[in-house]
Amino acid sequence: MRNILLLTLLSWTCLAQQQVNLTNLAAFQHPSNNWTIEGAVQSAYSDTTLQVATGQGILVNTLRNGKYKRSDDLTFAFSHGDIHLMFDFMLPKKGNSGVYLQGRYEVQLADSWTKKQLNFGDCGGIYERWDDARGKGKEGYEGYAPMQNASKAPGLWQHMEIDFQAPRFDANGKKIQNAVFKKVILNGILIHENLEMLGVTRGAVSLQEVASAPILVQGDHTQVAIKNIQYETYDKPSVKMGSIKYDYYTGKFTEPIIGAAKPIESGKLDKLTYKVIKAKNDYLIHYQADLDVPETDTYEFQSYWTGSGVVKVDGKELNQGAHWYSEMVSSKTELTAGKHKLEVIHVKDFPWGPQALGLYVKRIGSHPVALHERTSLLDPEAVGMIEVKANAEPVFQRSFAMHQGKKKTHVIHVGDPSGMHYSYDLKQGAMLQVWRGPFLNATQMWENRGEPQTSEPLGVTVTLDGKFPLVMDHQAQADSTELVYKGFRLKDGRPIFMYHWPAGNVMVEDFIRPNAAKTGLERTLSFKSATAMQSASELVLGNSYHGISSVNATLIGLQGQSYFVQWDGRQGAVLNPKQGLKQQRIPVQGNEVSYQLIW
Amino acid sequence: MKNIKMTIACILLAFATFAQKTSSKTEQDFYEIKTLPIPKEIYLEVGGLATMPDGRLAVSTRRGEIWIIENPYQTANHQVHYKRFASGMHEVLGLAYRDGAFYCSQRGELTKITDTDRDGVADLYEPIYQFELSGNYHEYTYGPVFDKNGDMLVTLNLAWVGFGEGKFAKWRGWLVKIHPDGTMEPFAAGLRSPAGYSINQDGDIFYGENQGDWVGSGRVTHLAKGDFAGNPGGLKWAKEPNSPFRLTLEEIQDNGAPMYEAAAKVKNLKLPAVWFPHAIMGISTSDVLQDTTRGKFSPFPGQYFVADQGQSKIMRMGLEKVNGVYQGFCINYREGFQSGILRERFGLDGSMFVGMTSRGWGSTGKDEFGLQRLMWNGQMPFEIQDIQAKPDGFELSFTQAVDVNSVKKAASYALRSYIYKYQHQYGSPIIELKDLKISGVEVSGDKRKVRLVIDGLRQYFIHEFKLEGIRNEAGEPLLHETAYFTLNQIPSGGKLAVQATHRLEEAVVVKAVPAVKPMKKSTVISDAEAMALLKKHTCLACHAKESKVVGPSYADIAKRNYTDKQILALVYKPNPQNWPDYATEMAPMSHVPAADVLKIASWINGLRNKALLNHD
Repeated sequence: MRNILLLTLLSWTCLAQQQVNLTNLAAFQHPSNNWTIEGAVQSAYSDTTLQVATGQGILVNTLRNGKYKRSDDLTFAFSHGDIHLMFDFMLPKKGNSGVYLQGRYEVQLADSWTKKQLNFGDCGGIYERWDDARGKGKEGYEGYAPMQNASKAPGLWQHMEIDFQAPRFDANGKKIQNAVFKKVILNGILIHENLEMLGVTRGAVSLQEVASAPILVQGDHTQVAIKNIQYETYDKPSVKMGSIKYDYYTGKFTEPIIGAAKPIESGKLDKLTYKVIKAKNDYLIHYQADLDVPETDTYEFQSYWTGSGVVKVDGKELNQGAHWYSEMVSSKTELTAGKHKLEVIHVKDFPWGPQALGLYVKRIGSHPVALHERTSLLDPEAVGMIEVKANAEPVFQRSFAMHQGKKKTHVIHVGDPSGMHYSYDLKQGAMLQVWRGPFLNATQMWENRGEPQTSEPLGVTVTLDGKFPLVMDHQAQADSTELVYKGFRLKDGRPIFMYHWPAGNVMVEDFIRPNAAKTGLERTLSFKSATAMQSASELVLGNSYHGISSVNATLIGLQGQSYFVQWDGRQGAVLNPKQGLKQQRIPVQGNEVSYQLIW
Repeated sequence: MKNIKMTIACILLAFATFAQKTSSKTEQDFYEIKTLPIPKEIYLEVGGLATMPDGRLAVSTRRGEIWIIENPYQTANHQVHYKRFASGMHEVLGLAYRDGAFYCSQRGELTKITDTDRDGVADLYEPIYQFELSGNYHEYTYGPVFDKNGDMLVTLNLAWVGFGEGKFAKWRGWLVKIHPDGTMEPFAAGLRSPAGYSINQDGDIFYGENQGDWVGSGRVTHLAKGDFAGNPGGLKWAKEPNSPFRLTLEEIQDNGAPMYEAAAKVKNLKLPAVWFPHAIMGISTSDVLQDTTRGKFSPFPGQYFVADQGQSKIMRMGLEKVNGVYQGFCINYREGFQSGILRERFGLDGSMFVGMTSRGWGSTGKDEFGLQRLMWNGQMPFEIQDIQAKPDGFELSFTQAVDVNSVKKAASYALRSYIYKYQHQYGSPIIELKDLKISGVEVSGDKRKVRLVIDGLRQYFIHEFKLEGIRNEAGEPLLHETAYFTLNQIPSGGKLAVQATHRLEEAVVVKAVPAVKPMKKSTVISDAEAMALLKKHTCLACHAKESKVVGPSYADIAKRNYTDKQILALVYKPNPQNWPDYATEMAPMSHVPAADVLKIASWINGLRNKALLNHD
């Protein structure tokens, strides 16, 4: 019951949405020559330009028209009010662009990689507003830096998710509600939540705020690439509920089945609420209502209750079962336009747990409709975070950790003042993940009994394969090794992990630390053996299910260009161990081999 | 202002104490508690303690750190000094110091920690052994305790999935021995929540167990190799080739009969040396430590000090060996520690360091964690020194000569015996309760020993001694008047030939005159009467009127609108699911007379009415 927090924190569900067609530029109004559709883009993190390869699926600003012409801004064909927008983007070094919701409120796209001090002009920032009348040097005002730097390196694909609520106007066109960035999530990190826009940001197409207008992408500063543009707008009508009546029964009901029971009270309601229930437990409540469905479509019913219940439409059972109020139960059904019968039966046959009842109907293209009174559904319990910081010196902390859906029990997280951290499976000699930002959230381990016993990264995270990286010449990389963990020693506060590797019959030391440029982590594996190796071994630089992009002789992008691996450039080989999987290997020469992870 | 208020509070407190305890002495008159201050930014949730030979103290924590404390004896300066020696480990619930290195248990590893460059901070963390884990939070790992050969004992808690389960990860529910070369020897099984254990001067291992499934009440059990201490959660591993015994769940009866009946059929099922009756002698037994300080720590050298996490207190246990089997008694010693006690270790001066944490577990001591020291001030309290079984009863010895008149009065004693169920359900009510009659008393020449001849001794049963009327020659009552003896073996040998001089003086029974005034119907008892009843039946160990202790407050219970009868049913058969936010389940209290429970219930429900009135 203490785990509620994590389950609900980012429960912002992504339903199937509209996808912008990027086979050509038809989705945009009069695109300038700066914009093209390409098939692949890559760039080294140190390059100020993007390399492109022909094809389809990626919108690229090549900047071939040059800079600083507003006519190079790209306007989408469709207009929007409220919108949930998601896309991937790639910037070159010093890249600078931005996405204007309704052409008026800009979320900045910029190369802010590794920056410590952020402002509104950094990646994910809500750009400042501008008013010449404020006087010279004072024109800029408001604007919001992201809550933390969630940027990845130039040349990597980054993911942006924006939940935007358009301003509201009365019948006379007077604004009655400001635009709101309900959530902005960059690379999985929440960077803004419920920020109200008191007006348009600098560079808006107009100072006049409107209910609906198209997205605009800034196209006159630097190159930028964008793909996977998905969105949901909320302009379709949804269900309405009418003539609600309830029947209230007392007694021992373990299941939401009325049977021969007689109600002790009946009445009418405007919305569903548990508040008509007098008892704390041992009751049954039966609500019946008309549901007006405006258009034939799929409708999702999302219910919440403590106890047991059932939601029925036209007698068909949808959501059911015993649940805690913070758990959403969901099912989808196709409904034809017209009137339908909605029934909700709810029972609670135990005295503990807060009473709660909530029911939303969600149709793609419209906001969820709450069929319950707001007070009928409690807010979930929130717990203050217990953070482990690594601001002053390197720190490490063992805990359980989730990796690719599995709980690993012998994990150490190593934090560094450089802001680059990693998780490591001590049993496997394997890196599980790396991240940049604040270090560790230990709440699930140290709050109360800490039932999950896990801890989680607090920064932009790259999940790695979780496998020991050394293999004997030409042998397959094992899922788990016979590695014998021998402990770690500390060097300048950072652990050096020690193993006996039976396959090579050597002692191996594994040392991971920030690289010299503080752009990533450098991992050095060295052999400590009196006798020479029996045969040569190889180092697996990485496994990738989305191809390996070879940026230059020493740099590859892995997992859909979500991180870079850099090494000394020695000749290696790309293997194809199974369908869809690529594996980059290099030979180990001598007693030591190093590579860097950059993200 | 604050100071003034404090002073007033102190005066009031002093008055209150005065009013109640004009003549009798209290624990703090003999056993003093000193508090080691903890810097505000340190979460010293104590999991392990290790006394160092250089006068320092090492403390391991649930947040995975080891702190080394200088001046822990607070000589000439109350302040102590903390230095973080190691960090980043996973819930370190045991710590030992040996030959310049620390050994500690993390959840998944027995670790040796060394400061190779001697800069005061550890720089080498080596696994001695890696334990399997399933990922269940309840798979706690405790230890190590070194034996005389340098082997390390470690205990492995069961997982919790609504009951104790050991099958998810190897050797859960076991005490294992780890040799210095990293090999592991499974030693004894049947453990549920073995948070505290130690080795006595004779090399025998004792561990404290928490009430729970298959554990009717808290207890201390002697573990020899191949013993099975009762909880079958870890029996899956008895099939392993290196298991010291073979046993399956199917061979264990689960019919609610007492454990000794099951032990008659399962030869390595080990009965506890001493039962600690639930809610009276703690609710979550933790560390067990023999007083080896030769009279420095307590007036009871060689006896054992058993801590309780939930009740924030330390109890005393005396053992004897009859027919090769350990048995003995337990009795309260010192309550009032600041948090839930997990660890006890003796300091160099013979005082005891007491390490505490209550996060997620709850405790009577209100602090989230703490570090205190318990010491004896050398004053001799009037206490039961020892209890030994005799063929026909018991011999009690006292720290001071007794008043013979008081010893000769039947009214000075209340004796009874009972036992618990052995079953998969959580906890147990008291069963087979029987009052005991003393048929003869003999006082030794030095008046320090009292031999009691008792009718109806029952082997394996808990024999409760309430010695309310016993006085020393100064007319003072015992500091602790109640002890619980677990009679595993009745020794053979000479019985006392009971003569007239041994008979107790019975009190003259005055027949109660029927009350003239008719009783008012459904009178709710006063707060004072309620408190007396709650204290008598040990309810106050876990509950308070207004505040959450281990269990919910009576005011909160009142809000549930139970009828008096429902409260009675719940007291006799608690439903822990009613209170999911409380870590410790309530034990069935069916030995409390229904009339008393109903009085308490109506008092509880009266609290609700009062609350309503106040709010109106």
